[in-house]
Amino acid sequence: MSRTSGSSNEDGASADGASADAASARRLALPGIAVALLILAAGMALAFTVGRYPLTLPEVLDVLAAKLAGRAPSVPPAVENVVLFVRGPRVVAAALVGAALAVAGTAFQGLFRNPLVSPDILGASSGAALGAVLGIYFSLGVLAIQAIAFVGGIAAVAAVYLIGSALPARDPILVLVLTGVVVGALLGAGVGLVKYLADPYNQLPAMTFWLLGSLAATGVSDLVPLFGPVALGTAVLVALRWRLNVMSLPEEEARALGVPTGPLRVAIVAAATLVTSASVATAGIIGWVGLIVPHLARALVGPDFARLLPAAAILGGGYLLFIDTIARTAASVEIPLGILTAVIGTPFFIWLLAGMQRTWS
Amino acid sequence: MRLEARALAIGYRDRLVGRDLDLALAEGEVLSLLGPNGGGKTTLLKTLLGLIPPRAGEVTCNGRALVATAVRERARLIAYVPQSHVATFAFPAETVVLMGRTAHGGLFGAPSARDRAVALAAMERFGVAHLAPRPYTMISGGERQLVLLSRALAQEPRFVVLDEPTASLDFGNQGKVMREIRALAALGHGVLFTTHDPNQALRFADRALLLREGRGIAQGKVATVLTPENLEVLYAAPIRTLTDRVSGESAFLPG
Amino acid sequence: MATRSRHALPPMDRRAVLLGLAACAAAPRLAGAATVTDAAGRAVAAPEHVARVFPAGPPAAILTYTLAPEVLLGWPRANRPEEREFLLPDVGSRPEVGRLTGRGNTANLESVIALKPDLILDVGYIDPTYVSLAERVQQQTGIAYALLDGHFAKTVETYRALGTLIGQSEAAGKLARYAEATLATILKRTGAVLPERQPRVYYARGPRGLETALGGSINVETIELLGARNVAGERRGGLATVSLEQVVLWDPEVIITIDRDFAARVGQDPTWSAVAAVRAGRVHLSPKLPFGWVDFPPSVNRLIGLWWLAKILYPALFADHDLRALTREFYALFYHVDVSDEQIARVLAGRD
Repeated sequence: MSRTSGSSNEDGASADGASADAASARRLALPGIAVALLILAAGMALAFTVGRYPLTLPEVLDVLAAKLAGRAPSVPPAVENVVLFVRGPRVVAAALVGAALAVAGTAFQGLFRNPLVSPDILGASSGAALGAVLGIYFSLGVLAIQAIAFVGGIAAVAAVYLIGSALPARDPILVLVLTGVVVGALLGAGVGLVKYLADPYNQLPAMTFWLLGSLAATGVSDLVPLFGPVALGTAVLVALRWRLNVMSLPEEEARALGVPTGPLRVAIVAAATLVTSASVATAGIIGWVGLIVPHLARALVGPDFARLLPAAAILGGGYLLFIDTIARTAASVEIPLGILTAVIGTPFFIWLLAGMQRTWS
Repeated sequence: MRLEARALAIGYRDRLVGRDLDLALAEGEVLSLLGPNGGGKTTLLKTLLGLIPPRAGEVTCNGRALVATAVRERARLIAYVPQSHVATFAFPAETVVLMGRTAHGGLFGAPSARDRAVALAAMERFGVAHLAPRPYTMISGGERQLVLLSRALAQEPRFVVLDEPTASLDFGNQGKVMREIRALAALGHGVLFTTHDPNQALRFADRALLLREGRGIAQGKVATVLTPENLEVLYAAPIRTLTDRVSGESAFLPG
Repeated sequence: MATRSRHALPPMDRRAVLLGLAACAAAPRLAGAATVTDAAGRAVAAPEHVARVFPAGPPAAILTYTLAPEVLLGWPRANRPEEREFLLPDVGSRPEVGRLTGRGNTANLESVIALKPDLILDVGYIDPTYVSLAERVQQQTGIAYALLDGHFAKTVETYRALGTLIGQSEAAGKLARYAEATLATILKRTGAVLPERQPRVYYARGPRGLETALGGSINVETIELLGARNVAGERRGGLATVSLEQVVLWDPEVIITIDRDFAARVGQDPTWSAVAAVRAGRVHLSPKLPFGWVDFPPSVNRLIGLWWLAKILYPALFADHDLRALTREFYALFYHVDVSDEQIARVLAGRD
C-alpha cells in the first residue's frame, strides 16, 4: 500500500536528473568490477609465467588444454609436473586464500562497523595457530596438522561467541570484540608455551615458518580442504551482502529496519570464520590482506556492500597472487607471505589513509 | 489501526525507568513526548518500537502484542527515525533510503525495481532526490535528516517514531523538518516524536504526553496540556509565556 | 632402464600391456631402477646412477658430502669462509638451496625441480610428519625422496643405506666400518665404567651458559651415549633454561659448552666458581669447524666429536689416543681435506 503521491512540485525538474545520477552511479560500478577482474587475470597470468622453474605461457596453456582434453601434452614431463602439481595448485591456492581473507575482512568491517577490523579479530588465526603448533609438536602428518588448525580456528571463534553471548551487554559487538581480544591473547600464550617446549632443531623452525605464513609446497591435495569451506563461506557472505549494509548501522536502527540482527550476526561470523580458518590452515597466518583489500575495493566500487563484497573477493585473489609471486621469486629462498603482506601492506595502508578518507568517515 | 501501550512499565534488566504508562496513537495523528533528560523518553520510545521488552504491561499494534510480532513484521508497521548521526560508511543517500525497503524484500534483501521506485519517490517527496548519488556523510545535517525521513517513508509503515528530530539541526532547518513531519501525518501515518522544546509540540503535534521521572504527569490535546503550570511541574523550573496580541499564539521560554 | 630381477613378460593380451602403460603415464614419473627401502619403510625408486642429490636439511647435506661430495647440489645454508677452509673448495662453495623440512619450507619446490636432482635426501626424525612430507614432495615433483634415520647410534646403518641408494656401496662401506670401529672401541671402554665413576656433565648453551638440554634431547645425544650423566637429564625433553643456583646444586664435574664467550668468561666469574667443573678447570669449548663436534647439525660430524668427548670425560681411559692424529684421519676420510697442524690446533681451540 503505497502512500507516496507523485513527485513533489519544487523538485520536479531535478527528480529526473536524480534518477539519471543514481543510474550513472550504478554504471560507474561496472568499470570498478572490471578493473578488479583485470587485476585478477593479470595476477594469474603473471603467477603462471614467473617462477624459479622457467615456464612460458604457451607451455602452460598447452598443459592445461591437454589436461582438459585428456591427451598428452607436447612438453617434457618435468614441465607438465611443475604446471599441474607444483605451480598450478599454488596459484589456485593463492587466489582462493586471497579471496577468502578479503571477503572475511569486508564482512567483519561491516559487521563491526569499523573499517580498521581484520578477519583475525575474533581469534580465528590464534586458534588455528595453536592447533597447528600442537599438530607439529605431536609430530602428526601434514594433513592432520591442517585439520587441527582448521578445527582450532573454528573452535576459538565459537568459544568467543559463546562467552560473548553469555555476558549481558547493551552492545553485543563491543563485547564480542573484547572477548576476541582476550581469548586471542590466551591462545597466543598457548602458542608460546608449545614453542617453548618444542624440539628446537626440527619442530621449532617448522612452527616458526608456519606462523609466518607460506604457500610453499602447496599440492593438489591441499586444494580440496581449501576449496570447499572457502566456496561455501564466500557464497553465504555474497548472498547476504545487502543485509550487510543494514548490519553496519547501529544495532537498534538495524532491528527497527526489520533485520534479525542476532541470527544474522551468527551467520556472518560463521561464514567468515569458515573461510578464514580454511585459509589459515592451508597457508599459515597471513595478515593485512583482510584489512587492505576491502579498502582498495572500496576505492574501486564504493562502500555499498552489495558491490563491495564481490569486488573484494576478486581483488583479494589478484592481490595475493601478486604477492605470492614475489614471495617465491624475489630471493633464492622463499620469503614468508606474512612478512611480505605486512611490508607491502603497511605503506599501502598509510597511503590509503592519506588519500582515501572520503570513502569512510 | 492504533499503537497502544497499557499499564506499561519500562526499563532495563537492572533498572526500572518508568511505570503506569498509558498511551495511544492513531493513524493520521501526531503525538509528542516531552520531558526532561533522564525522564524516560528514549526508553519509552525504544519500548514502543519493540527494541526493548516491556518490564510490565504491553505494547500492542492493531491489538497484537509487539513482542509477539516478528522483527520484520514490526518494521512494516513502525518506522524509526533516529537522531541524525555520523555513519561509519559513506553510503550514497539512495542506498540509505533503499535500506528502508529491507523489511519488504526477500531473505537476501536484493532490492527490486519496485523497491527502487518507492525509494526514489520517497526522496522526491521530501525534496532530496537530487542528493541520491551523494555520500551520506557529505550532505548537511538538515539534508541527512530529510534522507532519514525518506527512509522511514520508503518503509511504508503505519507509524513513524522520531527521536528528537531537530536536535542536531541548525535553526533554519528546524522549521522545515518539522513541517515535513507534520506532512507525514497528513499522508495518513501515525507520528510520535520526542522533543525538548514545548513550542515544537505546541506547533506541530496534536497531542502531547508529559513524562517526568518515568511517570506520565499529563496527556491530552496540546492546547489543554501544554500550560505553564504543567510545564513548570514537568521541568521543575519557572516558565515564561509570551503571547502574540494579534494572533493569540503562545510561546514558552525558560524562566 | 635395467630389468634385473624381473621375469620376461608372459604373452599377455595387448590390453593389459596398454593399461599398464597408461597407468605408468598417469602416475608420477619416477625414472626408477633400483628400489630401496628407506628408514621409514618406504620403497624409494632411485635411478641406478645417482649423480645429483638435493639435501632436504643440514644433516642430509653433511652425510652426502662425506660419502660422495661431487653429487651434492648445494647446502641448506651457504657455508661461511671459515667453514669452507675445511671443505673441498668447489663443493663447499656450492650455492644455498634452503631447507625442505616441515610445512614452511625455505626451499622453493620449483628451484628443486629446476636443479634436476636424481634424489632428494632427508636425514633426521622418522615420524609421521616427515614421512607424510616425503610422500607429498615425491608425488608433487616426481623425484625420488628418501628418508634416513639421523640418530647417532644409527650412523652405520644410515651410511650403508645411503650407499645403496646412490650406488656408492663401496665408499659407504669404508665410512660405515670406520664409524663401526670407532663406536665399538669407545663404547667398549665406556661401557665398562662403573655407574658411580660416570662423570656428571652439564651442557651449557647461550652466552650466560644457562640454557641446557634435557634428557634424551638430540643436543646431548653423544654425551649421553658415552655414559655420562647429564645433570639436567632427569626430565626428558628438549632445551630448557635453568638458574645458576640449580647448576650449583647439580655441581657437575664437567661442563661442555658451544658458546665461546661463555667459555672465555666463566673462569673469571666468581659466581660460577662454586661449581666443581669450573674449579677443576674442566670447562670445554666444543670445536665447530667446519661443522659442530657435539651439538648441531646432528649428523656424522659428531663422530670425531665422540673421540673429543671421550678424552674429556674419561681422560685416563683414552690417554692412548692422540686426538690430533684422529682429527687428521677423520678430516681426510670424511671431509676429504688434508689439514695442517696449525689448522688442527685452531679447530681444537674452538675458535671461529
